[in-house]
Amino acid sequence: MLRSSLARCQHHAIRCSPVPDSRSSSRAMFWRIVRRLITANRGRLFVILLALAAGAAITAALLNLQIDAKRRLTTEFRSFGANVIIAPKNPSTESAFADTIPLAIFSALPNRNDGRLVDKAAFLYTITNVSPADKDTGATDPQKTIHAVVVGYGYRASDIHDLVPGTTIAGDTGGRNDGVYCEAGEAVAKRLGIEVGAWIRMGGTEGRECEVTRIDRYGGPEDNQIFADLDVVDKIINPSRVDNSFRGFPAPPIFPDRVNLIQLGVPGTPESIERYIAALQKQFPDVDVHGIRQFSEAQAKIYAKISGLLTATVVLVLILTALCVMAAMTNVAMERRNDVGLMKAIGGATRRVLRLFLTEAALLGLSGGLIGAAVGIALSIGLGKAVFGVAARPRLIVYPIAVGLTIIVAIASSYPLRRLASIRPASVFRGEA
Amino acid sequence: MFLRLVADSFTRRPRRKLLTGAALALGMAVATAALSVSLDVGDRLAQEFRSLGANLIVTPQADSLPLEIGGVDYRPANSGAYLPESDLPKLKSIFWHNNIIAFAPILEADGYLAAKQSELDAFHLGTEVPLIGTWAAQPVYLPGSGETFTTGIEKTSPWFQIEGRWFAANGGEVDRVEVRGTPGTGSGHSYVSAPAECVVGANLAKRLGIRIGDRPYVNVATMEKMASYFLCAITGILSTGGAEDNAVLLPLRVVQGYTGKPGRYRKLYVSALSKPEDNFARRDPKSMTADEFERWSCSPYVSSIAYSIQQALPGSDVRVIRRVAEGEGNILSHVRTLLWLVTFAALLAAALAVGASSAASVIERRPEIALMKALGAGRGSVGFLLAAEQLLLAVAGGGVGYAFGIILARVVGEKIFGAAPEPSLLVFVIILALAAGVTMLGSAIPLRRAAHFQPAPILRGE
Repeated sequence: MLRSSLARCQHHAIRCSPVPDSRSSSRAMFWRIVRRLITANRGRLFVILLALAAGAAITAALLNLQIDAKRRLTTEFRSFGANVIIAPKNPSTESAFADTIPLAIFSALPNRNDGRLVDKAAFLYTITNVSPADKDTGATDPQKTIHAVVVGYGYRASDIHDLVPGTTIAGDTGGRNDGVYCEAGEAVAKRLGIEVGAWIRMGGTEGRECEVTRIDRYGGPEDNQIFADLDVVDKIINPSRVDNSFRGFPAPPIFPDRVNLIQLGVPGTPESIERYIAALQKQFPDVDVHGIRQFSEAQAKIYAKISGLLTATVVLVLILTALCVMAAMTNVAMERRNDVGLMKAIGGATRRVLRLFLTEAALLGLSGGLIGAAVGIALSIGLGKAVFGVAARPRLIVYPIAVGLTIIVAIASSYPLRRLASIRPASVFRGEA
Repeated sequence: MFLRLVADSFTRRPRRKLLTGAALALGMAVATAALSVSLDVGDRLAQEFRSLGANLIVTPQADSLPLEIGGVDYRPANSGAYLPESDLPKLKSIFWHNNIIAFAPILEADGYLAAKQSELDAFHLGTEVPLIGTWAAQPVYLPGSGETFTTGIEKTSPWFQIEGRWFAANGGEVDRVEVRGTPGTGSGHSYVSAPAECVVGANLAKRLGIRIGDRPYVNVATMEKMASYFLCAITGILSTGGAEDNAVLLPLRVVQGYTGKPGRYRKLYVSALSKPEDNFARRDPKSMTADEFERWSCSPYVSSIAYSIQQALPGSDVRVIRRVAEGEGNILSHVRTLLWLVTFAALLAAALAVGASSAASVIERRPEIALMKALGAGRGSVGFLLAAEQLLLAVAGGGVGYAFGIILARVVGEKIFGAAPEPSLLVFVIILALAAGVTMLGSAIPLRRAAHFQPAPILRGE
């Protein structure tokens, strides 16, 4: 079939040759031969396109997944909770919770880092009497009163577990956070003998009551703490603040002006978190801003390992894919021996013949790359979903890179054709190797 | 005749065969490397995650509710329960003893610190500081195996940065200094031969101007020992980014001695290698059947390690530090999936490469096949001959590829984790099977097509 298509070309060549200015017609001829070369054998075309497209697809999918995975990994590290703390600069020796920082800092904090939201919450601590309270009368049992740490936290965008990771044993907040609901650590709930739905009373005579909506397990000091609304704790500490709320019907809260601690969950790569901290330190010289070293250091270390591993594997796979495509293309090129022999026999210059085949390779690379890279990017979206549960965001930069690589590989794999230049047509036709 | 044909095809065109074999070996080398690294990566990463420090905390069961804020316990002195230090070697005798990487007991006390003796009198007790008694590079004799296991706070909290060095394991001999004029004691003072070694937090050191080599006075604030200061030789300055930055760390034995709690500790941090928790691991062991319980306790889940520690240390309450364990579990399982995916892509690419080259090697032998058929060879014997050739090539190429792949895996492993993955027989078997399977599959398709051709046109070269 191939031979016959070339035979037809030969006809044209002979017919066209007497024309004196053959430049435009020879160009037309060139493209005509290229077209024939590509379309003459449908089966072969399919195999080459498949190889090139598969290569491009793997390249595009892995590149996209790799870029996305690195970004995603930094999100994964958020499951360690807060990584930056803003605390009073010089703690007095008296007690840690006697030192405060102005809450005004909180609203001045940048909301985003690396384009993603920063989790943040302000914390106010007190140690006070806590006792189970009767749901209706509010009466408490002095026998069951214990001393416990009550933590007020507030102005957070999402759940406390985003900053202080733990597992919920029972109940849920149900999105309610209006001052009369609180969450208890496992140990303190056990000590008080309370279940989800019970009411507790915190503080002395001017104390507050809240309904325990959730009991959590942390494996840390939080197990012994009760988490309540920031304003509630502020009112336990400073009962003199004006308050006109009624149990169950909260009035607009009166915000405290000082807190003990601000915790931040800053997303991004270790370097960008460092920059975020440095900026805060400059902005608020009166307070102590520092990364939680336990997590920030481990995070930087692990991030480097994982991304190194990922890069190494992706590079290996890409090299392999290139070799795979090359092997397929080289075989195809070697099959052209007869064609080259024929072309040279009828007077084709070696350079022209080579150009012919390189053009063919480039065109195949382009089309294979275009199809494959599109498939690959679609694939990486699905794969991202499988790994991280969230679809990978397609990166447009990956597309031209994958297509370009495919074209380069396609042309490079035609390299053995250079050897064909030394072919003596006669020996080809005699069937000699 | 059969063997001769096979041998001939290898010797007649060695270059062609070498090329196909090289492609095969290369593909298999990458597949081996990717597979070895992936198989190994779970353990290596689990090890890396131990740079997060302890993932288990042991406290006394009968303890009163700790009033801890920012790492400082505000309970009155002498309240709460303690655990015996002598039980600690048992940690290395539990079922999961190899997974226990480090542990460090903690005993805290309130204390006072004064840089010079002249700063102390009846009205000036010094600066109030938290004292933390713990282990640093402490040799623990294990009666079971007769070996010594070295552990301490520097291993359970790897992010601690020390300038200078940790206090020595035996902490030096402690001699008391009686301070003149303090209430309840006589006057006069004694000399100190070898003071306790201690480490001071960076913030505290900065605040009080303490340097390495200084010998400040430290006192444990208990009522009966109000006046007995002891010297402590600063061997290092510790920066942690946490509450320890404002504390003095001493050998556990010293704090035990001064608080009157010999051989006791209050908190124990344990760092254990564990497997990421799945839904099964999160179930309550009490609700499991006997079979399920056995499966649970035979998997190194952090919760089953906690369970076996609790069995070994009577009166203890072992809790999983959720913040560390959950984050680790999440990331580990995701990274593992990701790497398996990439490995799968590597295997796929290798399979494609090898399949394509073996397909090509069959295609170019069409005239030979036609000739054999023309001479009366059946489809079966032609196929058998080619299959034998390809298999031979697959075994040779796969073997060479495996060897190269192991070297490649070593390079990648050393570079990233500083440790090479162990060559595994499983990978070798998988690689050989993959090489054989892919070459057979690759050559099967052109062989089938070749079977439909009539020998005559092929021999004519059409």
